[in-house]
Amino acid sequence: MSAVDKLKPVETLPGQERYVAPLEETPLRDIDTLDDSSPATSMWADAWRTLRKNPLFIISGILIIFIVFVALFPSVFTKENPNYCTLERSLEGSMPGHPFGFNMQGCDVYARVIYGTRTSISVGILTTIIVVAIGALVGAIAGFFGGWVDAVLSRIVDIFMAIPMLLGAIVVLQMFRSTGSIWKVVLVLALFGWVSVARIARGAVLSSKNLEFNTASTALGSTPMRNLFRHIIPNSLAPIIVIATTSLGSYIVSEATLSFLGIGLPTTTVSWGGDISSAQTILRTDPMVLFYPSAALAITVLAFIMLGDAVKDALDPKSRTA
Amino acid sequence: MSVEEVNTVTEATKNTANTAATASNVEAAAQSQASPASNATTATNATLQPLLEVKDLQVDFTADDGHAVHAVRDSSFSVYPGQWVAIVGESGSGKSTSAMAVLGLLPGTGHVVGGSIKLNGQEIAHYTPKEFVPLRGSKMGLVPQDPMSNLNPVWRIGTQVKEALVANNMDIAHEKRSSLSKALASADVKINNEGDETFLGSDKLAQLLEEAEKALIEVGVEGDKLGRRMAYFKDEWVPGSETRWRVADDLIKSGVEDDKAWYIAKKYVTGSTMDDRIAGLLDEAGLPDAATRARQFPHEFSGGMRQRALIAIGLACRPELLIADEPTSALDVTVQKKILDHLQMLTDSLGTAVLFITHDLGLAAERAQHIVVMYKGQVVESGPSLEVLQHPQHPYTKRLVAAAPSLASQRIISAKEHGQDATAIMEHAVNEDKLQKSEVIIKVDHLCKEFKLPGRKELFKAVDDVSLELKRGTTLAIVGESGSGKSTVANMVLKLLEPTSGTVTYEGTDISTFKGKELLDFRRHVQPVFQNPYGSLDPMYSIYRSIEEPLRIHGIGDKASRRARVAELLDMVKLPATVMQRYPNELSGGQRQRIAIARAMALNPDVIVCDEAVSALDVLVQDQVLQLLNDLQAEKGLSYLFITHDLAVVRQIADDVVVMQHGKLVEHGTTDQVFNDPKQQYTRNLLDAIPGGKLELGLDL
Repeated sequence: MSAVDKLKPVETLPGQERYVAPLEETPLRDIDTLDDSSPATSMWADAWRTLRKNPLFIISGILIIFIVFVALFPSVFTKENPNYCTLERSLEGSMPGHPFGFNMQGCDVYARVIYGTRTSISVGILTTIIVVAIGALVGAIAGFFGGWVDAVLSRIVDIFMAIPMLLGAIVVLQMFRSTGSIWKVVLVLALFGWVSVARIARGAVLSSKNLEFNTASTALGSTPMRNLFRHIIPNSLAPIIVIATTSLGSYIVSEATLSFLGIGLPTTTVSWGGDISSAQTILRTDPMVLFYPSAALAITVLAFIMLGDAVKDALDPKSRTA
Repeated sequence: MSVEEVNTVTEATKNTANTAATASNVEAAAQSQASPASNATTATNATLQPLLEVKDLQVDFTADDGHAVHAVRDSSFSVYPGQWVAIVGESGSGKSTSAMAVLGLLPGTGHVVGGSIKLNGQEIAHYTPKEFVPLRGSKMGLVPQDPMSNLNPVWRIGTQVKEALVANNMDIAHEKRSSLSKALASADVKINNEGDETFLGSDKLAQLLEEAEKALIEVGVEGDKLGRRMAYFKDEWVPGSETRWRVADDLIKSGVEDDKAWYIAKKYVTGSTMDDRIAGLLDEAGLPDAATRARQFPHEFSGGMRQRALIAIGLACRPELLIADEPTSALDVTVQKKILDHLQMLTDSLGTAVLFITHDLGLAAERAQHIVVMYKGQVVESGPSLEVLQHPQHPYTKRLVAAAPSLASQRIISAKEHGQDATAIMEHAVNEDKLQKSEVIIKVDHLCKEFKLPGRKELFKAVDDVSLELKRGTTLAIVGESGSGKSTVANMVLKLLEPTSGTVTYEGTDISTFKGKELLDFRRHVQPVFQNPYGSLDPMYSIYRSIEEPLRIHGIGDKASRRARVAELLDMVKLPATVMQRYPNELSGGQRQRIAIARAMALNPDVIVCDEAVSALDVLVQDQVLQLLNDLQAEKGLSYLFITHDLAVVRQIADDVVVMQHGKLVEHGTTDQVFNDPKQQYTRNLLDAIPGGKLELGLDL
C-alpha cells in the first residue's frame, strides 16, 4: 500500500474536526528573533550570579574573609605572644584576657589558635598556587600535544598518583626533619599534589581541544599555539578552578596531620596540628586545650570545602545536585 | 489488518460521522437529543471511542526562581484506535511535552496543572507515578527519540526486550490482539480463540516445515512452485512471531485441505520460549537474523538497527497506543523510510494507534491521517493531515508549509509540469549561464583519503577517487548519507585534512603547497560554516570577539574600523548590533549559525564551505538561513560548496549536485538533471525517501 493511497480522505471522527486557533490567542512572532529581555552575560558573569545566590557561598565566603583577616592581622585579635609560655600558668582555666585558658606549657591557647591561622592559611594557599601552576602546565602540555609527549607525561603522573600524598610526604619529610620553614611542607605537599590537577587539566584541554570552534579558528587562519592560548586554555579553566578550591582545604588538613605527627613544621612555628599533637596527652584531664585548635581547623577546612562546592555548582551546572 | 479495514468500519458509520463533522460543535450535537442524527452520533461514539482524548491540557515547568513556565496551554487533541496522529511544531513548541504528559513521564519540574487526559475514557491526568506503571508498556508504548542513548550499553539487546516482556507479565506463548483488532474483526473476520493465537516455537519449526512440504506434495504441488512455496514459508514462519491460525491460513491458501492444515498447525505450533519471542519481536521490527542479533550489545548496532530494537521494545507488550517521539530524526532518509514503512505495517496489523511527534511536515503528511500543529505551547491548527497541509489556514501553519524544503521542491516540480514559471517559487534558480561560462575556482582531482581504523589491518577508504569542480559564483552541493565521505572531502578542501592522494587546486594552485603567508591568504579566501551551531562558536567569546577574530588574525584594520566592520557584518546577517555584547549561550541555534556566517564573511572570501550548515535547524530557521545564503551569493558573487544529507534542501540552494555513496562519486549533474532525471538507482532511492516528496501541499500558497 503506498503512502498516497493511505491518504484517501478518511471520514472525520468526532473530536478531530478541522480546527484553527483564533489568531489573537496565538500571536505570531518573527522567526528567530533575538531575546533582548535579559542582560548580556558571559559565562563568568553567569557563574557569579549563581554564586551570589548560593547560601553555601555566602556562609563560606564570610567565614573565609574572616579567617584570612585573622591570618593577616592576628594582633587585632590578641595582644598576647603565642610563644610566651610560663609553666606557672600551666593548664590554668580561662581568665580575663585569656578566654581559652592555658596549655600544659603555660602558653595562651587563644593566642596560639589565632596565630596558627596564619600558618594553615599560608600553607593552604601557597601549596594550591604551586600545585595549580605545575599541574595545569603539565596537564595542558600533555593534553594539547598528545602522542608520545602525552604518553610520557601521563606515565609520570600515574607514578605519582600511585604514591599516597600523606605517605609520600611523611617519607620525604623524615629526611629533612631537623631543618626548614613552612616552605618545606608546602613544597612536599605540592610535590605529591600536582598530579591530580595535571590529570584534570589534561582532560579539560583534551575535551576543549576537540571542540569545533578550534577547527573553525584554524580554518580562519589561526595557528595551533594561538588556539591553545586563546581558546583551549580559557575553556579549560573552570574544572581547574574547581579542583583548586576543593583541594585547598585538604592541603590544610595534610599540613595539620604532618605537624601532628611531628614531622611537619618545626615546633617553634605555631600551628594547629602541633598544638593538637601536644594536647593529646592531656585529653582526659583538659579536653578543651585540644578542642580549640581542632575546632579552628575544622571550621577553616569546612569553609574551603563549602566554597569549592559552591564554585563547582556555579561553573559546572551539569554536576549540580538537585 | 490494514487501514482499508479501518476505513470500512468508518464507512459503516459514515452518515453519522458526517453529521458530526459538519456540526460546528460535536458536544452540542450530542447533547441535543431532539434530532435523530445526534442520537446516531451517540451510538457511533459508543462503538468508536477515541483511544486517547486530551482536552485543554496545561503543563507547567517550575523555573529556578520559582515562577511557572507554561510549556503547554489549552491543548486538545484525540487519537482513535488504529490511527496515526502527528504532532508537528518547531523545537520548544511543546509537542514532546504533551506526549510525555500522556505517558506520565514529564521531565524535571514539569507537571500537569489543568485539563484532562483520557485513555480509553479513563481520566489519567492526575494519576500518581505508581498508577501510571500498569499503563505503560501494555497500554501505552514509547519509541524514544535518540537511538544512541536510549539503550543500556551494558545489556544485550535481547535482555532489554525481555525486560519489557517480564515487567508487564506478558504471555510469551500467545499473541495479544488489541481490543481494536477484535472490534474491527467483528463483521466478517471470525475472532480467533486463544489457542489459535499460539506462537510457533523454534524447536518445532523444522518438523513443521517438513510436514508442510509433505502436505503440499500430497495435494500435488511440485517442482518450482513447491520450492517457491517452501521459501515463502521459511521466510514467513518466524518462531515467536507467527501464530497458529496464520500458519493454517498459509497452508490452506497453498491448497492444503482445511482439516489437514489445522491438524498440522495444531500439532506443531505449540507455543514459543522467551528467546523465540524476543527474536520474533526483533524480526517483526525488521532486524534481519534476529536470533543472533538479540545476543549482541547496542554498540554492535548501527543507529537504524538500534531504532528498530527500540521499536521492538515499544511494541513488545502490544500497546494500544504507541507514542513515537521523533523516532527517526537522527537517521538517514533512506533508513527513515524503511523503518517507518515497517512500523506502519506493524501497527496496521496490530491495530495500534500511533501518536507521532515530528518536526517534518512532509513526514507527517505522508504518515498520519490527522495532524496537530503546535506553536509556543498551543495547538494552532488541527485536522485531516492532507487537508491541513494543502489548505493551511493559520498563519503559522502557512509559514511552516511554505518553508518545508521537501514541499518546496515538490512545488517547483509541479509548477514546471504545469508549464509555469518556477522561478517565483524557487529561492534559488539554477544559473545555467554561469555554470557554463564561469571559471573554475576550486578543482578537486582524483581525491582519495584513507584512514586507519583501530583493530583493522586494511585501511578504510573514506574518500575514493573523487573529482569535482566548483565554478565561481555558483553552488555545488555534495549529497550523501552518513559515512559517504562528504565531510571528509569538505575538510580536505579546507586544508584541515591532508589527502592520501589526489589534489585540490584553488585558482589553479595546488593547495598542498601552501605554507605560511600563502596559507594565511588561502584561509582568507576560503571560509567554512560548520554543522553544529553550538560547537563552532567559543562559549567564552562575546559575539563581537567571535566575529572580530578573523580580522584580528589577519591583522586587518584598527579597533574602530573592526568594530564598524562587525556591525556591518551583523547587519548583513540581519541581527541587531546589540547582539555584540552577548555570548553564544544566549542565542538560538539559527542565530548562532548566522553569527558563524557573519564570521565567515568577515574577510570577504570567495568560497564558503557549508558543512551541513542548516541540518541542525528548525524548518523555518533553516529556510531563513538558506535565503540569507542565497542573498549573499547574489550580492557578493560567492561560491558555495554545500555539504548536506538532505536532498530537499539541495533544490533550494544548489546549481550543481554530486551524489556520494561509500566514498565514491555516483552521480554528477545540474540540480535539474539530478532531480528530474536521476541516472543512478541510489539517487532515485534518495529522492524517493524525501518525506512527502510525492505530495502536493500548500496549494493555496
